[in-house]
Amino acid sequence: MTQHDDRALGRPEVELSVPADGVHLSLLRTAAAAMAARLDFTLDDVEDLRMAVDEAGALLLQQSGDDAMLTFSFFLDGPRLVLRCEVPTPAPRPPRPEGFAWMVLTALASSVEVGLTTAAGASGLSLVLTHPREQDERS
Amino acid sequence: MDLSLNARSQGEFEVIEVAGEIDVYTAPRLREALVDLVAKGRHQLVIDVERVEFLDSTGLGVLVGGLKRVRSHNGSLDIVCTQDRLLKIFRITGLTKVFGIFDTVDAAVSSH
Repeated sequence: MTQHDDRALGRPEVELSVPADGVHLSLLRTAAAAMAARLDFTLDDVEDLRMAVDEAGALLLQQSGDDAMLTFSFFLDGPRLVLRCEVPTPAPRPPRPEGFAWMVLTALASSVEVGLTTAAGASGLSLVLTHPREQDERS
Repeated sequence: MDLSLNARSQGEFEVIEVAGEIDVYTAPRLREALVDLVAKGRHQLVIDVERVEFLDSTGLGVLVGGLKRVRSHNGSLDIVCTQDRLLKIFRITGLTKVFGIFDTVDAAVSSH
């Protein structure tokens, strides 16, 4: 379990907050794919990011508190796209490593870090995904 | 994009044609359809996902749940899929060794 140093990432390029409800995952997938396409990701990498965003969101939704907002922040970090997704939850716990969602997520992202915040009144779960930005050779 | 389901009989098999996106929001509808079919005594299932545009781990969980249900009645649940981006998810999770995955409905049916 590691904690990502958000200070090193600076201001996000894009930040999206939606109510923590599965109905909004398709919107987050579409936004992630659009951003990846704008960054000249290959088609395969766009699909991988779309899937990773969905799995991360689904994992967070399992623990979201009442009336919580799901927040996705996209950062450009040199050759990498870093995605931080977080949700407030009263009792954060790490995702089950044997679950399908975690298997897919860790297979598609080059790294996944889990952050648990247990401070009173501000507890939450976050996932930080890192994707390499490989230029599409055809472009 | 929503999820659409169409079930039809082909001999002793029930073929469920799925189109659209299967995710945490839409997967419960697929689960309900599979539970209903099993409750009606249909235990030989073929699920055609050729028109599915997105499938995540929640959808995979529903398919695995369906497989467990039909196997408890000595039935079968096969998948029809040729899309690489969907097959990739089956491979990542090791489910290519769990499901029969075929190119066509006829191939799935004739494998029994």
